[in-house]
This record gives sequence, structure tokens and C-alpha cells, in this order.
Amino acid sequence: MGLKPATNPDVDASTIELNIDGKTVTAKDGVSLYDVISSTGKIIPAMCYHYTFDPFGSCGMCLVMQEGKKAPVRSCTAKATAGMVIRTEGDDLFQARKKAVEKHLSVHPLDCPVCDADGHCELQDMAFQHGVTNLANAKQKFIPEDTRSLVLDFNMNRCIACAECINVCKDVLMIDALQFMKKGGFNQVVAKGDLPLACEFCGDCLAVCPVGAITNKFSKYLYKPWQMKKTTTTCNYCGDGCQMYVETKDTEVIRVTSPLSWKNKWGDRADTAKGHGGLCVKGRFGFEYIDSPTRLKRPLVRKGNQLVEVPWLEAMHAAVDRFADIRKKHGPDAIAGLITARCTNEELYLFQKLMRVAFRTNNLDSSARYGHMNFVQASKLALGIGRTTNDWEDLTKAKAVLVIGSNLTETNPLTSVRIKEAIRVYKAQVMVFDSAVTNLGKLGSHPFLIKPGTEGLVIDGLVKATVDLDLVDEESVKKHPQAFAALKSAVGSISLEQVAAKTGLTAEQFKEAASIFAESPRSIILCAEGIVRRPNGYQNVLKLVDLAWITGKLGRPGCGVNTVTEEPNEQGAVDMGVAPEFLPGLASFDDQTMRDKLAKAWDATLPTVGSGAHLTEILNRCRSGHIRALYVVGENPLATLPASMEVRAALDRLELLVVQDPFLTETGQMAHIVLPATTSAEKDGTFTNLEGRVLRVRQGMDAIGESVPDWQILTALANGMGCQWEYDSANDIQSEIMKLLPGYYNLGQPKKLTPNADHYLSNGYTASAAGRYKTARSESARPFTLLMGQLLYHSGKLSTLAPGLMKIAPNTGRIRMNAADMERLGLQDGAMVKLTSDRGSLQIGVQVDQSVAPQTCFFPEHFNEPPVKDLMSVHVDAITGVPSFKRTGVTIEKV
Amino acid sequence: MTVQTLTRKFLHAALFYEIWDAMKVMFKHMFHKPITFQYPREQRTIPDTHRGALGLLRYDDGRERCVGCDLCEAACPSRCIKVISAEDPDRPLQRYATEFYIDITKCVFCGYCVEACPVNALAMTKMYEFSTHDKRTLLFDKKRLYDIGERHLDDAKKYLYAHNQEKNLEESREYRYYFPQSVVKPTQTTPKHLS
Repeated sequence: MGLKPATNPDVDASTIELNIDGKTVTAKDGVSLYDVISSTGKIIPAMCYHYTFDPFGSCGMCLVMQEGKKAPVRSCTAKATAGMVIRTEGDDLFQARKKAVEKHLSVHPLDCPVCDADGHCELQDMAFQHGVTNLANAKQKFIPEDTRSLVLDFNMNRCIACAECINVCKDVLMIDALQFMKKGGFNQVVAKGDLPLACEFCGDCLAVCPVGAITNKFSKYLYKPWQMKKTTTTCNYCGDGCQMYVETKDTEVIRVTSPLSWKNKWGDRADTAKGHGGLCVKGRFGFEYIDSPTRLKRPLVRKGNQLVEVPWLEAMHAAVDRFADIRKKHGPDAIAGLITARCTNEELYLFQKLMRVAFRTNNLDSSARYGHMNFVQASKLALGIGRTTNDWEDLTKAKAVLVIGSNLTETNPLTSVRIKEAIRVYKAQVMVFDSAVTNLGKLGSHPFLIKPGTEGLVIDGLVKATVDLDLVDEESVKKHPQAFAALKSAVGSISLEQVAAKTGLTAEQFKEAASIFAESPRSIILCAEGIVRRPNGYQNVLKLVDLAWITGKLGRPGCGVNTVTEEPNEQGAVDMGVAPEFLPGLASFDDQTMRDKLAKAWDATLPTVGSGAHLTEILNRCRSGHIRALYVVGENPLATLPASMEVRAALDRLELLVVQDPFLTETGQMAHIVLPATTSAEKDGTFTNLEGRVLRVRQGMDAIGESVPDWQILTALANGMGCQWEYDSANDIQSEIMKLLPGYYNLGQPKKLTPNADHYLSNGYTASAAGRYKTARSESARPFTLLMGQLLYHSGKLSTLAPGLMKIAPNTGRIRMNAADMERLGLQDGAMVKLTSDRGSLQIGVQVDQSVAPQTCFFPEHFNEPPVKDLMSVHVDAITGVPSFKRTGVTIEKV
Repeated sequence: MTVQTLTRKFLHAALFYEIWDAMKVMFKHMFHKPITFQYPREQRTIPDTHRGALGLLRYDDGRERCVGCDLCEAACPSRCIKVISAEDPDRPLQRYATEFYIDITKCVFCGYCVEACPVNALAMTKMYEFSTHDKRTLLFDKKRLYDIGERHLDDAKKYLYAHNQEKNLEESREYRYYFPQSVVKPTQTTPKHLS
């Protein structure tokens, strides 16, 4: 039974009138009666209903009386029609609902004392509300618990067959990992095919289960809901910025829950366009790093050859003295700083202020440099914005989505749920260009498997096809005839057939994709790691802007060029000016008005224009001895960058390496001073997510050991260096940022920015456009392409410290290959091969992976054992300085 | 002052009335059982419903009754109970309390925790002597509570019967909860009334 609520934004559903409890109510035609009743504020109990999916109608609680019918009707599966007369209250309905509760309870085990859902159970609430005290014919199911899954236990004795888990999995998340199966005389929820559950493990089934039938293996029996302190905070894993509830007991994190829950089941279906409230596997089950025993508890100082625990005062004095000493001897530019984008906005702001005011240097960078900077700089240049232009709602309601170089389901699972909703509810055409068989490619209408490294060529092809087929938007193009002429001549030499041959597609496919993109009323481009983390990322983003411009999509509502970020606050890092080329508020470093404003506010002189170094330059200068002290906050360049960057040599030459991190990382082990910082669960602040929304991070528990929030360490360090900073809380820093960047927080809502490319198109566009379309792909002589990328179950190196996630996705130490390739090379699963790139070779096992395309192999970037990353060559972008090192040509030989 | 009252006063004085009056009380008490008794040598008989120290109980086979459901903690008005539970490593699917604390200095002996307990693992005993030189010893941990339960098992059971919490030994386990079985190995046989 499917009742599609009226969610098509293009068609206005007609309005109908019906009578509910004597009041006339207007509603949209075609929606469920239950939705109409709940929109009036009346709440009828319903255990199988949730607004995120279509009503299922199994619990029999939502009974109402309809005039003209003898028996009560189930309001959720009944369609609201004009002229209905409905009664929702009355003793007869109460008794009927009570009967339904009794029916469920009579086969329920009543093991509430040991059940984790005790106190957070809809069946319990219903039994209490309806006064069920004795059951006439109680019987038990005695179904053994299914404990085969890695994260969830299924206790089907407690199941009330509401099918919320199955519906949310199938309809909302489009994973479809659960099903009903008749087993032992009962309808049971089992994983597809009654196998051990193997899915994305997002745990949304757990969240919507109104009873304790699905339980969380990570916190089973450890808690009762009323024992825990619940803190609303923002997830620390990817740029989606999901809101979640961290539930703690003293100094332990017990579990993480989501706003998606059976508890808030009433809502407008159209609101899910802004997010359905669920979490992914990382957010829900990856919390164990917070109270991990490997956390640093006290500061460490290198004495002789090893790191020794010392009191805070001693460590801070040592750090301040040595920084001051180096600044005195070698000048401020001998100091540099790196910070991770997992820090809050306040800390990022404070960090750049510390570097620029206390250390008086502009050598600073954040992990946004690993890719996001390509997008920011291109978007800033072309559109004057520097962040994505569309929010989740735009993504959901798009008619055509061009996903290029992004395995969205793995990197940003909740953004991919938006695309899934676009496919499912709003019937969007999704074109996926990727060199892997991605999950979105399987779901989307137009999957295109391209050869690795041809993402840039694909854009060339799309632009060419648009020009050839004359799909250009006359109005946009007429405004800048010179620019369009330049673009036309730039793509003139491109042959669509050649591009098609190089990318592994056909010219027709390019034409089809270009026409879908150009002709849709709302078209969105989404580019990610395949563009921004690869060579020529900056140019490729500009080419995407060209595509959007000539098709007239720039500035039109619901259209735009977007990216996703890997770390939670990469956008915030750029916005806060943690880059040598930017000041807070994305002002250019040489912007004189902003420099004056900041100099006045900070009461200091800023480093001179033209000074400063970004990540790769900092490492180069470390190696050459120009930089003698490096302050690393949460970053781990040693484990991230390949050996060819010679990070170890660079760090070895340093006179002082101060690492501030919750864990002792590889970089930390080389440090002279290690300062224990807290994780985001132990501090206040804000993150800026990929939409530009500023989201609160709240302290859920006391800091572990003697660790201290980063902003406190930064403040202490600055005061040691002679500044007078008086920040008592993250709020104090926030109010300073608010004064400098009015409207940045904007109550957590992203400011609607209209991209305007006029300046860019009329100034110097003609000169740059010609060079952009000439990028010839450097053909590697090696037959295979080795790609490194993210797994769904991990994020950076942080998630490898969560034991639960390591259990789900351990480091297999093998490269993943296509089954056909393995067969061709005569390789069995687990066989050893010799992997050779231009940078060296290593022996490694292989494993089969269906999502890897032929001629490619894949290794997750989260693991360094064996050191596959060292096979990579680094290509540093000339304009943005982004190092790209995720793809290389390799040969694979059997050993 | 009238003649009558004068006469009474004179007679009282002459006949030492007050002394006889006092003697009357004294002789009356010579022939009746003393009301006070010599505590600690003599102890009062305490009713079964008396609310004394809390103890944790085991089943007859020695298994801990407590399933770590934390309802006692939720019911406690003075917040003196703390339960930490986990899955029993030896018996999958069985929840138990790894730690159990009662701060008896905070306890108001209301007996709500006993009432809340779904498996009758908690009971009150007739023990009321807690005097100690060190107040810290009054934070009863799990071991201490089981010790109390073992030492005062009879009293604890009488308490439960007196408060209508437990019928008798045979029935007690059957009318209580039956917990779902593990997929690895069955830990309980199906009880008679359910099979």
C-alpha cells in the first residue's frame, strides 16, 4: 500500500476539505488521512508510522471512525478524500486501540528489565496509556536471538512487525538490506536472504525500532535510557554536519542516537528534503575513539630519546620558551603551523590569530589544502563565493544532478541520501561519472563508468557537446559575448569522438548527458575527490563553472556547482582564514580594508603581504631549514602524505616540533612536545558544514585525563608569547568572530548567496579559457591505475581509532581488484602480487571487489599498513598548491 | 480557704500521703514485667515487615538474581543506588550488574527499590546496626550486599513474603520473567507453564 504524499514541487496538488472532530480541515489531495489529522495537532497513536516513508499499516493503532462505515478504519493507509467526516476520539476507539495493544503484548516476551529499550519503548508507552494490566492468552515465541551481524542484534521475540526498519531501509536509504521472512511460524525481520547482515550499517533501523527488537551491539545491556546524559552535538567525521545525540554516563560514551527516531515520527514529508535526521555508520557506531584508552592523558616532552610525561606547566613553559627563542634567533618566518579541519571554527580562528599575531608569521595551513582549497579558490575567483551554492534542499529537489568524480555514498553518506531522495521522490535524473562502480551509479538513471583520471576530459566533452548541440542559454551567453567566443574557440579544437574514446564513453552519451543537464529546470553539479583531489582540480572546477554558465544555470535558484568535504570543518577552516592566502571571512590576504580592520581589532600588525607558505611549501622550507619550528594541531602529515614528499626528512630537520592531538600520532611520535587535546565531544564550539550551515558542537562530558580543549591551549600559548587574550569560553571567541564577520553564524542557517560571474567573465576570462581546455591526459605506460580513496566505514585516520569501526572494516592489507582482472591475471582471492609504480614497488595481497572498475585497483587511504601510499607520486597544483596523490599508474605481477 | 481543704491538707501531712502514693507506683511496678530491656545484651523481636539494611539475593542454584535493570536506581528517592550493567560474558544474552553500590548513609529505608525490582533480587533485612568508625565503609558494594543477603537470607525472604512480593520458592521463578535464549547455547530450559 503506497500513498505518495504530495511532494512534487512543480505541481500544486488540489486542496480538499474534510471534517475532523467537527472541525473543517483543508488538506492537499492524495495524502494519507493520518497526515491530515496529525497536521491539525491531534496525535493518534501509531506504532508503524513514520513520516519519512509511506504508511505501512500493520500496527492497527491509528483507528478512526469514518461516517458511513461500521468498523473503525486505519487512518494511515486511508486516503484523505473530500467530504470525509472523521471522529478521532471516543471510548469505542479507545477500546479498539487497547485491543490492538493487547494483541501485540500477548506475544511479547515482557523482558523489559533486561531490554535496552526499557523506558524508551513505544509498546510500553502504549500499554501504559491504554491501561493494559493483564493478558488473557499470553504466549511466547522463543526465537533465538540473531547475533550474527557485526553491529546489530536482532531479538525477534520483541518484534511487533511494524516494518519501520524495513521501510526506512528500503524507502529512505534505498539500501534494502532487510526483509520479512516466515521462520518458525512467525514473521521475522531478517537480513536479505537470512544471511548475516551486510549493509551500510547506518543503524537507522535501530533508530526507528519502537521496541527493543533491534539492539546495538556496541552498547548492549550497558545502559538504561534514563541513566544517560544526552547532548546534542555535531558529528566529527565528515562535512555533512549531521546532528546527533551523544549519550554519556560519567566519563564513558555509551551510545550515539540520531534525531531520526520513532519518538519524533510526526512531520511533513516535504521537510525531509532538508535531511531525514539519520546518521551513518561512522556517526552512530564510531564513537568509541572518544573514551579510548589510547587517548593522551598528560603532556609529553622529549627527554633524550623518548617522550616523558610531564605536568602541563612544564610542557607549556618549554613550548613557549623554545618558540620565543626560535623567533628571536631566526625571525618569525622560521615558525609554521598546521591545523586539522576537525577543530571548531573558534579554534581555527584562534589558531590563525595565534600564528599571525603571537608568532607574527603567515606560514599556516589547514587540511582543507588536501582538496577543498581547489574548489574554494575556483569558486571565489569565478563566482565570488568560495563555498557551495546549494543546500541539501536544493540537492533533493533538483531535476538533474551531475555527480562527477565522487563516490558520495562512501564519503558523505547523508548527502548521498539527499540524492537518493531526489531519485526516489522527486524523480531526478542522476548522471554519475566515476572511475568506480559506485552505489549512486547503480541507483542513478545515467551511470557512466569512465577511465580513471579522465574526469577533466569528461567536462571538456560535456562543454563541447553543449556548444555543439547549441544547448547554450542565449540570455547568459549574450551578456558576455567575448567570453563565450573565447570559450567556443577554446573547445573548438576538441573532438568529441576523441574525448569519448579517451574516457571510455561514446559521443552519444556525452550528448545525452549534456542535453539532460542543460534542459532540466534545476540542474546541480556535484564534484568531489575525483576532481578536487586530483591534478588540475582547480581548472576542472572552473570548467564546471563554464558548463553551468553557458547552460544558464549560474544564479538560477536550485542550480549550482557544489562539492562535498571530507572533514567536518574544512569550509570553516577556509572561512576562518587558516590559509596563507586568506584572512577571516574569505578576504584575500592582501585585502587592505580587511587588514586594517583586523589590525585594529587585534591591536597588532599583520605579516606583510606576499609572505606565507602553504602546506607543501611549509614542508619544503622545513627541509631546506628555513622553517625551524612547526606547530601541528591535530594534523598528521607523516601518515597522510606519500614518502616522496619526504615529510620525515622535513620533520627531522626541525628544531622544535609541537604536536597537539588527542592521540599520539605518527607525527606526534617525532615531536619534541606533545600536548593532549580533547575531542569534539569534550568541548564547545561550532562547525561549518558543506552547505555553509554553522552548527553547534556541545560538550557532552568532562575531558579525559588532563587533556584540554584546543582553544585553551592556543590561548595559553598566545599569552605565553606576550599577548593578552582573555577568553574564558568558546563563547568569548565566538562573540569576537561575530564582531569581525557580522552575519557569519546567521543562527545556523547558511546565507543565501547568489553567484555572480559577471566580473570574472568580463575580466581576463578570455585569456585563461584557452589554456584550460588543452590539458592533455598524461598517459601512464603502466596498465593499471591505483586509486586511493575513502571507505564508507572510515574517515581520515580518526576512525581507525574506533575499535567498532575497525571491527566492521578492518585493514585487510590487500588491494581491491575487479574479478575479471583477477581472473585474467590468474589471481585467487588473497594471492600475493607485486605492485610497481614509478616510486617503487611492494608485495601485497589482492581481494575481489565488485565496485572496482576493470584496469583499476583500490586501496583505502585510511590505512598505511602496508604503505601503499608511498607508491604515489605527488602533483602540486601551480595555483592553489593542493597536493594530489591519490592516483598513480601501476603494474601488477603475480608472485 | 475552707475548712474542708484545711482538713485534707492536715490529713495528707499527718499520714505521709505522698509517700504512700509513690509507694503505690513502686509496688505496682514490682509485680509487672519491665518495659525496657538491656540492649545490646537483649534484642527486640522485629516484625517481618521491618525495613532494615538492603541485601542482594541469589537463586537457590547460586545464580545472581539481579539482572542489572536499573529500576531500583530509577525508583530511589534519595539517589543512593548506582548500578552498572553489562552482558554476562559466560552466558550470552544474560544481563547482569557488574557493579552495584548502595550508599546506606543516604538511604531513607523507604523500600521502593525492593518494590521496583522485577526479579526480587533486592530485599530488606532486619539488620539495623551500622555503627562504624569510618563512614566510608557505609558505601555498600556488590560483594557486601550479597554478603548481607546471604547472612540474612531468611529475614530477606520473610520480608518479601510479608510485602506480598514473592509467593513461595517454587513458584517464584516461574511467575517471574523468562529471558530469551541465546543463539549460541540455550541457557534456560523452557519453564513448565510456558511449554
